[in-house]
Amino acid sequence: MSMSLSNPNVKQTIPAMPGTWTLMVFALTLGAGMLMTPYDPTQADFLNRLATPSALHWFGTDHLGRDIATRVLYGSFWSLGLSLGVVSIGAAIGTIVGLVAAQNGRWVDMILMRTTDSFFAFPELISAVTIAGLFGPSTMNLVLALIVVSWMKFARLVRSLAISVVQQDYILQARLNGLPAWRVLWQHNLPNILPGVFVLWTNSWSRTILAISGLSFLGFGVQPPNAEWGAMLLDGKAYLLTAPHIMIFPGLAVLFAVLTINLTGDRWRDRLADNI
Amino acid sequence: MLNIAKLSVSAAGRTLLHEVSFSVAASEMLCVIGESGAGKSTLLKGLMGLMPCRYERFEHRSSAEESAFATTSGLGLPACRYVMQDPLAALNPKRSLGQSICESLYTQKLPAPEQRNRALSALEAVELPVEFYDRLPKEVSLGQAQRACLARALVAEPELIIFDEPLSALDALVQKKIALKMDQLRREIGITYIVVTHDLGFAAAYADRILLLRNGRMETFQDKGDFFANPASAYASDLVGAAQTLGALNRMEAAE
Repeated sequence: MSMSLSNPNVKQTIPAMPGTWTLMVFALTLGAGMLMTPYDPTQADFLNRLATPSALHWFGTDHLGRDIATRVLYGSFWSLGLSLGVVSIGAAIGTIVGLVAAQNGRWVDMILMRTTDSFFAFPELISAVTIAGLFGPSTMNLVLALIVVSWMKFARLVRSLAISVVQQDYILQARLNGLPAWRVLWQHNLPNILPGVFVLWTNSWSRTILAISGLSFLGFGVQPPNAEWGAMLLDGKAYLLTAPHIMIFPGLAVLFAVLTINLTGDRWRDRLADNI
Repeated sequence: MLNIAKLSVSAAGRTLLHEVSFSVAASEMLCVIGESGAGKSTLLKGLMGLMPCRYERFEHRSSAEESAFATTSGLGLPACRYVMQDPLAALNPKRSLGQSICESLYTQKLPAPEQRNRALSALEAVELPVEFYDRLPKEVSLGQAQRACLARALVAEPELIIFDEPLSALDALVQKKIALKMDQLRREIGITYIVVTHDLGFAAAYADRILLLRNGRMETFQDKGDFFANPASAYASDLVGAAQTLGALNRMEAAE
């Protein structure tokens, strides 16, 4: 960790830096918006196509007359929720692989880490596109593709953290004190490994949002008429010059979501820096 | 209390420590000394039960065992606790000192309030304030952390405590205070100590018996008085001579 980030004086000079609260306000706003909006995200209204932002349609309407504000709100379910699921599953897989590799060592470690390396060899987005291309564009395939390319970083991180923790004398003490293996793992290994995993998890979450939106924009991911931010950008592409608001608002949503999660992750990292 | 004849410790088929014999009576202190690589840590690991051991005779209190062949799990002495060299590595940074101390009682299955009371009196025994129960290791000094480790060993009321260089991570004044505390507790409670150290001064001050190791073999095993007055081997007498020269130098510096 760099000195300036863990220095408390520096933190005070960036009061606007978002934290957990910002993220919660963000989530609450989205939830409340979904409950309060009078529109259906997939309900077309051909009499009111490409309307500019107004009191009735805050973000305007798209080429089918659907309310963009409502679609942005519902899109958060796909962009934020789906990516959260993908990252959490990837983190769980990676953590288990890393722990098993570190605990067993020798050839188990070798096989698992070489497998991790070979998965690393494929660029993230390209692999996802390939998988989506092979099995057809659908949300399920997108999720599978992103999980397949997301777990390796966790495996590597957890393995290195676990190896350094296992060598600590407090693990030896716990064993000498007669604690069963699962209890040593639960009370001693995991609490010293998980903060690091958590930081990587927030980081990967925002990357996955970008990946889902990016792939949906390319047509590989969430399919119309579902309101996903990337898919909405794709919808608006043809009207970029005549009705730019169709692309601007989902674009801003992606921007704010990724920025907030990244900055929140940074803050958590600083707070956890002493503990890693 | 503990009487071991011809103990050998091996790892991965190689014998690292050859036929070491020693004994220590109840509430005595045995100091294991020797340069690095002499086999001090190997002996400790054997005693902890982490490395396979072979011995001719192994008496612990009244129970005696004779065995010619390896016990794969090592000795794993019952009613024994350990204090390591670096207290910050020996204490989980995520757990309070109190939690770490209570962990020593795990196999005794005591109710939580009882565990807490025992931990608090152990803190008292090592002269740490009771509020240290809730402190994290990073919130206390190195010396205080080592005291907490001592409390963790004491709380289980062991017959034997094995120390691995307990003072070498600390500065001189703290070393002295903790050494005195260790000695006082041993006399008051009557615990047996086995202390691995390379500090001959510490051994001279507090030990009852001295086991000197060299290159994975036993060099000498003598009472402290004999060891310093009448070393049983040339290497031992060189070591004592060197320590005395150093001691003389220290005294000269002190006089100046």
